[in-house]
Amino acid sequence: MKEELQRLRAEAEQALAQISRADELEPFRVEYLGRKGRFTSLMRGLGQAPADQRPELGKLANEIKGRLEQAFDLRQEQLSGAEVEVVKFPDLSLPGRRHPAGADHPVTRVMTEVCAIFVGMGFAVVEGPDVETDFYNFEALNIPPHHPARAMHDTFYVGEGRLLRTHTSPMQIRAMEQARPPLRMIAPGKAYRCDSDITHTPMFHQVEGFLVDRKVTFADLKGVLSAFISRMFDGKTPIRFRPSFFPFTEPSAEVDIGCVICETKGCRVCKQTGWLEILGAGMIDPEVFAKVDYDPEQYSGFAFGLGIERVAMLRYGINDIRLFYENDLRFLRQF
Amino acid sequence: MKFTYNWLREYVAVELDPDAVAARLTMLGLEVDAVLPLYPSLDEVRVARVAALCQHPNADRLTLCDVEDGSGALRRVVCGAPNVRVGMFTPLAVPGTVLPGDFKISANKIRGELSAGMLCSEQELGLADSETASGEIMDLDPVEFPGLAPGMPLRQALNLQDTMIEVDLTPNRPDCAGVIGLAREVAGFSGLPLSKPVKIAPLLLQTAVTDRPFAVTVATPQCHRYTARLLRRVRVAPSPRWLRWRLAAVGLRPINNVVDVTNLVMMEYGQPMHAFDFDRLKGGRIQVRQAGVGEKMITLDGVERQLTPEMMVIADDKQVVALAGIIGAENSEISSQSTNILLESACFAANSVRRSAAALQLATDSSYRFERGVDPQVAPLALERAVQLILKLAGGEEVVGGVDYRGGAPDLPILTLRLSRVNNILGTDLDLATVERLLAGIEINAKRLDDQTLRIVPPSFRVDLLREIDLIEEVARLVGYDFIPTNMPSLTMTLPTLATGGALREKVRALMIAAGCHEVINYSFVNPIHRRSLGLGADDAESHPLALLNPLSEEQSVLRTSLLPGLLENVRHNINHQCLDLRLFELGKVFFPAGVDLPREEERLAAIFSGRRYPGAPLLWEGETLVDVYDVKGVVEQLLAGLGLGSGLSVWSMTATRKVKPYAEIGYSLALTNNEGKILGTWGKFRQSVLKAFGIKQEVFYLDLGLDLVGQIDHQVNQVELTACSPESSAFAPLPKFPAVKRDLAMLVPDDVEVGEMLMVIREAGGKLLDQVEIFDVYRGKHVASGRKSVAFAIHYRDATQTLNEKKAEAAHCKIIALLSQRFHGQLREAR
Repeated sequence: MKEELQRLRAEAEQALAQISRADELEPFRVEYLGRKGRFTSLMRGLGQAPADQRPELGKLANEIKGRLEQAFDLRQEQLSGAEVEVVKFPDLSLPGRRHPAGADHPVTRVMTEVCAIFVGMGFAVVEGPDVETDFYNFEALNIPPHHPARAMHDTFYVGEGRLLRTHTSPMQIRAMEQARPPLRMIAPGKAYRCDSDITHTPMFHQVEGFLVDRKVTFADLKGVLSAFISRMFDGKTPIRFRPSFFPFTEPSAEVDIGCVICETKGCRVCKQTGWLEILGAGMIDPEVFAKVDYDPEQYSGFAFGLGIERVAMLRYGINDIRLFYENDLRFLRQF
Repeated sequence: MKFTYNWLREYVAVELDPDAVAARLTMLGLEVDAVLPLYPSLDEVRVARVAALCQHPNADRLTLCDVEDGSGALRRVVCGAPNVRVGMFTPLAVPGTVLPGDFKISANKIRGELSAGMLCSEQELGLADSETASGEIMDLDPVEFPGLAPGMPLRQALNLQDTMIEVDLTPNRPDCAGVIGLAREVAGFSGLPLSKPVKIAPLLLQTAVTDRPFAVTVATPQCHRYTARLLRRVRVAPSPRWLRWRLAAVGLRPINNVVDVTNLVMMEYGQPMHAFDFDRLKGGRIQVRQAGVGEKMITLDGVERQLTPEMMVIADDKQVVALAGIIGAENSEISSQSTNILLESACFAANSVRRSAAALQLATDSSYRFERGVDPQVAPLALERAVQLILKLAGGEEVVGGVDYRGGAPDLPILTLRLSRVNNILGTDLDLATVERLLAGIEINAKRLDDQTLRIVPPSFRVDLLREIDLIEEVARLVGYDFIPTNMPSLTMTLPTLATGGALREKVRALMIAAGCHEVINYSFVNPIHRRSLGLGADDAESHPLALLNPLSEEQSVLRTSLLPGLLENVRHNINHQCLDLRLFELGKVFFPAGVDLPREEERLAAIFSGRRYPGAPLLWEGETLVDVYDVKGVVEQLLAGLGLGSGLSVWSMTATRKVKPYAEIGYSLALTNNEGKILGTWGKFRQSVLKAFGIKQEVFYLDLGLDLVGQIDHQVNQVELTACSPESSAFAPLPKFPAVKRDLAMLVPDDVEVGEMLMVIREAGGKLLDQVEIFDVYRGKHVASGRKSVAFAIHYRDATQTLNEKKAEAAHCKIIALLSQRFHGQLREAR
């Protein structure tokens, strides 16, 4: 009896070890561990064993059955784990069910950023018409007819004294006509010049800005524009203010930043100078104040103009300005 | 304005290298555009001396030359020049040298004889125009170039070690359109003396006398000064090399010794000059006058010009001989036969020259300077300099009795400069002595009125200094912008106004981006052909754009009246680049002519949808499903809801407005009106014919909405109000306290019934108890009679004041069923 039990155990263990598929488990269970299985029928024969051996044999039989059941459970667990998992869990390597959002145009993005910095310094935002009069675009800005400075503005005309504004500076006049100092304003918008090549498009975007009050100085101009540049670019970007000429400011300045491409070593983008022109600025000319009836002895102020495409080109390393207006999705998707 | 470093050093002995000079000039407001070493490709070229010659055995015209190249050994080169001779010094390019025009020298066999280099002509070295090529190699004259020795670098031997510097002059600085002007600035910052070639001009008689060889009469107020002198028996010939090279280095073409001298002096003093062939002047007389009506001339560039009385001319007794301050006439041009030369050095009014040059579209080195303003005092100095140089280079003699006419040059201004004003504008703390010293450095001399004030008469060459602020700019420039402190202004704090549709635009942009659209920006000017492509009628306002008077091209010749053509062009561009799935939008202005007023500018939003429903979404989940009209409507509804303008059908009447644009496909497009019946925009599908006109072969849907109408934008002032379309209240609604009861119902109605109408009836019938209604099925087919459809609604009823009982809900539901049946000949299919 004892030998029979041990034999059955060995046989069952061997059979269990050979099972490799989950569907073979049930026949095994029925054959060995089921109610009519071989183990049960062997246990039934326990009654015929001598009475003094029964307790020992019973204990052994229970032990063997327990072990077999444990081994069976383990095997079942192993086999089900291997096969069912594939069926049971989703493949998380598949793509998500997404509906991608669009994006703003890089020019818009930079424009928004520039405006936000000035608004943070208390500047109001004003806007004006794209089609302007000669008065607002030129005359009120101290650029009389035939002035050589007009040669710097290749103007699109739409009629007698009607033109597409060549800069956003007319908003200086429009705003000052309507309000008295102190004034802190920026005027973002489109401007137009008949020019088209790798660095010029006939339409482009500018942000004009101006600040007028009593005792505003050139030092203030340097302060505000330096603050803007350090926020817009890396705070460590070198800045330089350099004398220049605009008919509507005096003294006038061009503001350069250290070339962000070559880090001021000199490259093609900065024409080997190490510097990139980023802003035009200056103290508002007394002639301009006279046009809007401000007393230049009482008030002073500065104005500046920033080309958005130029900043966007530097920010994103874009080498051809015309890409902005081709509206190629392969370009737009990158922002 | 181009000059060379060595040229500059003739007037100021600056020790800084060219790059350092350029850097200083830039920081003085004279922005240097380029610093280029001259003749860099001549670095490798050396001087050689021809030691022996013999005939090439296989070619009559070639010579075998043994030359000394400084190495001690003789070098054998083959030469084809007829002028090669023993003992001559000539340039040698050894193998490996690259000459101008990317001409690489290598050791070659020429007709069987090895040539270890090349003896060069001026043309091959880029030192002369190829037009004048004679095939002769350079014969270097030891007298002209002392110290020649074999092996010497050619640039050193010919004194060509120089650097060209180009300054981008601003229009206010004509004084720096001459090298002396730039030298003055250099002298200013370096503290070195400025030495000018002519210090005092000889005194010329101011009026014409009868026994003179020539006479000048001035009959126009536009001529401020006219000086002229006559030279006889001048030998016109090509200029010496140094003069030709100097002019070529600054981009001027050498012509002959007389003309070259006038150009050299112009570059030196900034004073344009002109030389007439005196024998070709009729009557030996010069008249400065305005042109007569119908007068013509042939200018030096060979073009016949029609003159008008606005133009100032120089004439002899019979004809116009020059356009004053701009260009000479062919009829009195200096030629190799000329012997008697009349030299002119004058000052013409800037405005007059500017207008004539603009009218004739002529821009010359002379007009460039006069337009910006020439110093009236410099004319006799420049004339003296030119006379001296011509006598030296071309021989001849001067005829006594020059002319110096002085007309109505404006008086020099007398300016007052207040120290307080300087410091108040600049934010500096300069003292008066510093200001005086800075200005004196560039010959602006001041007289102290008191310890706070200077009286200044600006020098005549600084035509830009007319006001106190101009002097303050000079102080700022000279002290250096780096010296001015950097400071934040202190202003009263204010709440800044945020402009003109800015907030509305940002909101719309965010909603469109969330709807999967990429923003585009198109040019404001478009092709006028779009009107036809869109099929717009003549009565449509969009058919009448404002035209540019000077467009860059026909494609960009009118201001846009709609954003759609630009977007359609974008669709075509992207399809051509294999991007077929597109959702694009633009926010921008359109323009409508308004007679004598500025055009009316309207802000619009437009979007296009084409290709797959969700561009960029995984194919696995969304498949190839294409966008359809409900996708567009969804974007419209979401946009309006996002703007707080009602969720789709509640505020926006869709049924009354089937009148759409001619480019829209009928039955697939709608106009969008507010509850006052005003059309705010349209959306839908483009007609096939329109897409064909734009070269597009796939379906395209669109949305076009006037932002000004959605929110009122005032471009003049600074206000936007979202009031035009009575948006829904933005006030908070308390959360419901009691549960809702949900009922479904399906109605069979005729096929042509619009479900939107049914919804309106449900809302009307449901009254206060109706909480929410949704369509969940529209079905035609099996189990539904043909010509009819089944429409199923899920309706939520709720009482705000108590828990709704089944009975009341049932009553409301029945009322709806009854009304639907009655209005639409409906028939209840199922109710739960």
